[in-house]
Amino acid sequence: MTSTAPKNGPNIGAIVIIGIAVVINLVIAKMMATWSYSWFPPQASSAAPYVDDLFALETGIGSFIFFGCTGFLGWVLLFNRAGKYDESDGAPIEGNTKLEITWTVIPLILVFAIAFTSMKVNDTLNALGPKQKYAIGADTNALIQADPSAQVGPIQVIARQWSWEFIYPNGVRSSELHLPIDQRVNLQLQSEDVIHSFYVPAFRLKQDIVPGSLISYSLTPTRPGRYRLRDAMFSGAYMSVNQSNVIVESEEAYSDWLKRTAKQSLQPGLDPGRELYDRRIARGDKGWATVPPAPAPLVNDPGDPSLPHDA
Amino acid sequence: MTSVNPDLQLNHTPGHVKHDGHNMTGFVIFLCSESVIFLAFFAGYAVLKLTAPQWLPDGVEGLEVRMPLINSIVLVSSSFVAYAAERYLHKGNLWGFRAVWLLTMAMGSYFVYGQYIEWSELTFSLTSGVFGGMFYLLTGFHGLHVITGILLMGLMLARSFVPGNYDKGEMGVASVSLFWHFVDVIWILLFLLIYVWQ
Amino acid sequence: MTTTNYDPRILKAPHPVPGAPDNWKRFFSFNTDAKVIGIQYIATALFFLLVGGLLAMIVRGELITPPADLVDPSVYNGLYTMHGTVMLFLFLFPILNGFNNLLIPTMIGAPDMAFPKLNAIAFWLVPLFAVVLMGSFFAPGGPASSGWWSYPPMSLQNPLNHFINGQFLWILAVALSGISSIMGAVNFVTTIIRMRAPGMGFFKMPIFVWTAWAAQTIQLVGLPALTGGAVMLLFDLSFGTSFFRPEGGGDPVLFQHFFWFYSHPAVYVLVLPVFGIFSELFPVYARKPLFGYRFVAIASFGITFLSLIVWVHHMFYSGTPMWMRNLFMATTMLIAVPTGVKVFAWLGTLWKGNLRLSTPMLFCLGGLFNFIFAGITGVMLATVPIDVHVGNTYFVVAHFHYVIFNTIGFGVFAGIYHWFPKFTGRMYYEGLGKVHFALTFIGATLNWLPLHWAGLLGMPRRVASYDPEFAIWNVIASIGAFMLGVASIPFILNMVSSWARGPQAPPNPWRAIGLEWLLPSPPPAENFEDDIPTVISEPYGYGLGHPLVEDEAFYVRRSEEA
Repeated sequence: MTSTAPKNGPNIGAIVIIGIAVVINLVIAKMMATWSYSWFPPQASSAAPYVDDLFALETGIGSFIFFGCTGFLGWVLLFNRAGKYDESDGAPIEGNTKLEITWTVIPLILVFAIAFTSMKVNDTLNALGPKQKYAIGADTNALIQADPSAQVGPIQVIARQWSWEFIYPNGVRSSELHLPIDQRVNLQLQSEDVIHSFYVPAFRLKQDIVPGSLISYSLTPTRPGRYRLRDAMFSGAYMSVNQSNVIVESEEAYSDWLKRTAKQSLQPGLDPGRELYDRRIARGDKGWATVPPAPAPLVNDPGDPSLPHDA
Repeated sequence: MTSVNPDLQLNHTPGHVKHDGHNMTGFVIFLCSESVIFLAFFAGYAVLKLTAPQWLPDGVEGLEVRMPLINSIVLVSSSFVAYAAERYLHKGNLWGFRAVWLLTMAMGSYFVYGQYIEWSELTFSLTSGVFGGMFYLLTGFHGLHVITGILLMGLMLARSFVPGNYDKGEMGVASVSLFWHFVDVIWILLFLLIYVWQ
Repeated sequence: MTTTNYDPRILKAPHPVPGAPDNWKRFFSFNTDAKVIGIQYIATALFFLLVGGLLAMIVRGELITPPADLVDPSVYNGLYTMHGTVMLFLFLFPILNGFNNLLIPTMIGAPDMAFPKLNAIAFWLVPLFAVVLMGSFFAPGGPASSGWWSYPPMSLQNPLNHFINGQFLWILAVALSGISSIMGAVNFVTTIIRMRAPGMGFFKMPIFVWTAWAAQTIQLVGLPALTGGAVMLLFDLSFGTSFFRPEGGGDPVLFQHFFWFYSHPAVYVLVLPVFGIFSELFPVYARKPLFGYRFVAIASFGITFLSLIVWVHHMFYSGTPMWMRNLFMATTMLIAVPTGVKVFAWLGTLWKGNLRLSTPMLFCLGGLFNFIFAGITGVMLATVPIDVHVGNTYFVVAHFHYVIFNTIGFGVFAGIYHWFPKFTGRMYYEGLGKVHFALTFIGATLNWLPLHWAGLLGMPRRVASYDPEFAIWNVIASIGAFMLGVASIPFILNMVSSWARGPQAPPNPWRAIGLEWLLPSPPPAENFEDDIPTVISEPYGYGLGHPLVEDEAFYVRRSEEA
């Protein structure tokens, strides 16, 4: 079956070349892994280092495999090309069972190792809480079960087409999410219409918000700043602008803000879809069908969308 | 494998291939695939029943089982009757086949009629919450299959009057019979799911 | 062109055959010859590749600048929804069915498919649902605009409250597509199981036949689940039921389960035949046996089985509990293994080969290169904590386009060039082919490689506008996309002019080993007709010196004399 020319002992040249190639590949893989950290927004939650580390690990392994395979391909393209008029066959090798078993078993072990590591990360982060379905018309306030491991909250997060509203335990309502640093906060995610998604890239966390369900979600911010909150589940015409900001600040600044804001009167909050919709109507309602935006939530603090964000 | 005979005429239109029993293979494969759509609906029914905040619509306490049970017995028995009809055909007894086949069709029609009566006496509709939707979807979809089966049986019955139609084999009847058994098995599962598991 | 080149018996048949003079009308008729149907599928699919591509050009035109300034956002949503739907249901599935029709009977020595009339009906459903889908652009309120997933409650909103609306027509079109696909699947599987040439046991079948069988099995098991979900969605949309409406007690996440139970395996339906194409072409252009043929064959069904138990990886941050996410992460990781087996087998096939870089080989090499990259990002997406961050961002869009276009699309082009001589009877222009490859490879890389970084930085998908920090990635991507648009020109030019006036093709221009290469180019109506060869060797015997069939010289001579 397989026919190879008889050898006079191990091919030293081949072993050296392969050895050097492997070492270079390992070095490049390590460099890629280190570089991959810079591909992310700044790490602003306790989840971020875990996610970035996992990604670096996979980038390293992935680079090794990618450059190994493509390097191999490059070698073949360089040294195994047929001459213009050469119509002869290549080496009649049909397979190598030992090799085939090896390249089945090693990836199997590798992927399972990654899976188990990830399960431990999921466990550690423990972000996802219970999801409770409710009958329409039920009072969701009554359903809220606070996360016992969270120090802050529960803060209700209400997603609509196309605005965000945050309701704090003391009754304050705002369009931007203020959080105190280094404390685990529990969020209660609800939607009033279609599926939305609570996504803060700087936190590396995302959870879909399903209408008819109340989803408990907890996280710990670890870096002060102003971070984008984006609706990551397609939710209609103006989904792209259904964004807000998360402001992570010190404990004192947070309590200050809560007290200050409680005294402000209610006013219409951030409602980015409304402006675009009004413009569309002014131009004669041209375009394909869309539902009108939900009325702007009435909040104590409508936030300031003109301020720049860190990530 | 010698040289091609140039006088060999192609005596059939290209594209018409001798089937050699491929039909049954194809039909069985099709039935396996069709069963998945019912399994998908069953899974949906089970998930919604277990997780919906309100499963039964207001004012509905459950389903009456007696009449559907009688309908079920008629339908399942009709499978055995269909099998008997196949045996008659296999032995070449065309009139025996036609009579028993017609009986099968009658039993199937009784089932459809019974389903219609049950539907007309129910106090909830297709839009009565998740239960209403799933109930009518499942029984309606199944009922469509029963009606299709009866129509196919009618076709086989009509073809039995064409002289020499079954000389080459009973493939058509075997397939329709298999379809009928399939419809019955689906009904048994459906009955257990909807009427027994309440 | 005289008629003496053709077997005289063929001319007496009432059905004209491909390549014979004055026969172009048969491609517009209800014709039951699988080779005609195959060309019909491929030509229709390539037309819709251009339609889907045009939609993509508008999408990338919108995205080249941060604000939504090209089209109204509601229009953008319809455009990207239809882009995905057209590309999947009107380009990819039909073109692969086209390959199945051309290759399955010829590769196994069968005269035609098991059910030729069913085959023709399955094809003609495609223009029918194409009309329904394209017609939805003119429905009141525009076409479906909730993404090709049509997640409820978004897809149920029907703002103008018309019974006939874009979403309704979309569901109808997809249902018709499903019926067509099931008909095809029953046909292909029956043909493979029952109509192989004498001597062709399962482990003497070409890999393309293995992968086609594996893919069509997935269609049979998975499609009905999508049909079920689509029926329920239609009822919710049009008849007032509440399967997925929370207001009526329904569960939107249930739809996602129905949808992805089919749509995940569906991507393997798309990629498996392309794995088959790579497995066929690498041996030819490296002049070497396929490395590990049996492992590769079995891995095809390994992928089939595993593909049915991974669907929740599309719902890792949806309304699923953590135990479910962990379970499906484990199963998804598993599927990397048989896929890896195939990749390594191809590399092993190339090693110590005698490579010839014709256009089909270039596309295969490019496809393999891209697929290794796509596979790695796939493992990243299977990792729950990472997917929670990059899910529903441009990282996912980049990953799946790397698979769908940069791998599957490349494989489709490779297959078209490779088998073009066989089924049209003409050679294509190699120079144009190489230009097509260069533009496509560069364009595709520019289009989707940068978008991985946009996703990692947090740019969501399906957006018409974005924050300015994502601009640079989008500009590069759009340039790549426009390049891809331009790349279609040498391709279409090549196809049309080569078929019309390209040089005549010999029966076996690539000196390949396979039953289809023992037929004339193009093959007669019933391929081997009454004289089917007996297979005596495993496929891909390059350099091994034994014939594929008994009395091979006779069949070679017969193919050259026709």
